[in-house]
Amino acid sequence: MSIFPGPLQITAILLSALLPLVLFGYARIGVFHGAGRLFRAGSLTVIALFAAGCLALPGSRDIGDVVGGALLLTTAILLCHVLWSLLAWGFTVTLLTALAGAAQPLTLEQWASAYMRGGDLSGFAHNRLRLLVGSGMAISRDGRIAVTPLGMMTVRVVRLIRFATGMG
Amino acid sequence: MSFVCGLAGILLFTILAPVAQVVARRAGSPIAPVAILAMAAIVSHAASIALGVMTVEHFRYWNAASVFGFGVMWYVFAFGAVYKSVSLEILLDLAQRPEAAAPLAEIIQRKVPEIFRGRTDILVSGGQVERAGSRFVVTPSGRTTVSRIGALRRAFAIGDTGLYDFAVPFEMAEKTTNS
Repeated sequence: MSIFPGPLQITAILLSALLPLVLFGYARIGVFHGAGRLFRAGSLTVIALFAAGCLALPGSRDIGDVVGGALLLTTAILLCHVLWSLLAWGFTVTLLTALAGAAQPLTLEQWASAYMRGGDLSGFAHNRLRLLVGSGMAISRDGRIAVTPLGMMTVRVVRLIRFATGMG
Repeated sequence: MSFVCGLAGILLFTILAPVAQVVARRAGSPIAPVAILAMAAIVSHAASIALGVMTVEHFRYWNAASVFGFGVMWYVFAFGAVYKSVSLEILLDLAQRPEAAAPLAEIIQRKVPEIFRGRTDILVSGGQVERAGSRFVVTPSGRTTVSRIGALRRAFAIGDTGLYDFAVPFEMAEKTTNS
């Protein structure tokens, strides 16, 4: 048994650890505006560095080392994306910060307003429906929202995933 | 063959994780679904590595770990996407209705407040928020969480918003679909 990673796997592990630092650095520089753009820039940077490592590292290439390294780096990017999404777009997390930002205890309606920065849940509903309509999963017609065939296909996939993951 | 051991670990995980979720839910366990995923991943990984050590002559740990990590992360990614997505909750609710449609006003007045209350309940049951009569207030534990979230958001220059930023306003999208 070998517990030592290959050269490209070591590169991938180091780049995985570097990704949060790259994101931190880009955030300090302020070149990339928006959480999504910043994350894409950081991910592409570490992917480019890994590709450079594949070409530049001395010695012959072991396919297992290359594939293993690529998988390790992708795993790290996915993990960072899950955490990044929670931080940037997490509904529950932002609800908590909105309530904490209030000077006094809030009713449910006031809490919704604080979350919406003065708006109400109608604005929030429109925001989420825009995603469904914009992606073609729902259409808006005569004051009604209807699921499209693409939306129904998505619903079936979601139900399947929920069932397969034990959440159905 | 080391990669195959990683694949065997993924297979075990995809069986173990949902079974554990169902058992925990039926038993009324307070353990969070994400914690159950983490425990299932540790058990599956340990089992797949033990299998590799016993059956593969030149077993390479990192080859098995890389494919296992990759598979488990995609599982977690899919799980996270469907578990608590507000948009998907609205879509699933719509799909259950006659003609898979509902008045916009009903979604705004009934479904979205229901989702909102569901999330506030999660914060209350998680000890992050407590009720003070008809009002809500952040607990000391919640304050600590908020402080950590704030520090991370400041470090990575992430603004305080849970809303998606779409280029096309909803009203415009409505006109487009009507045409």
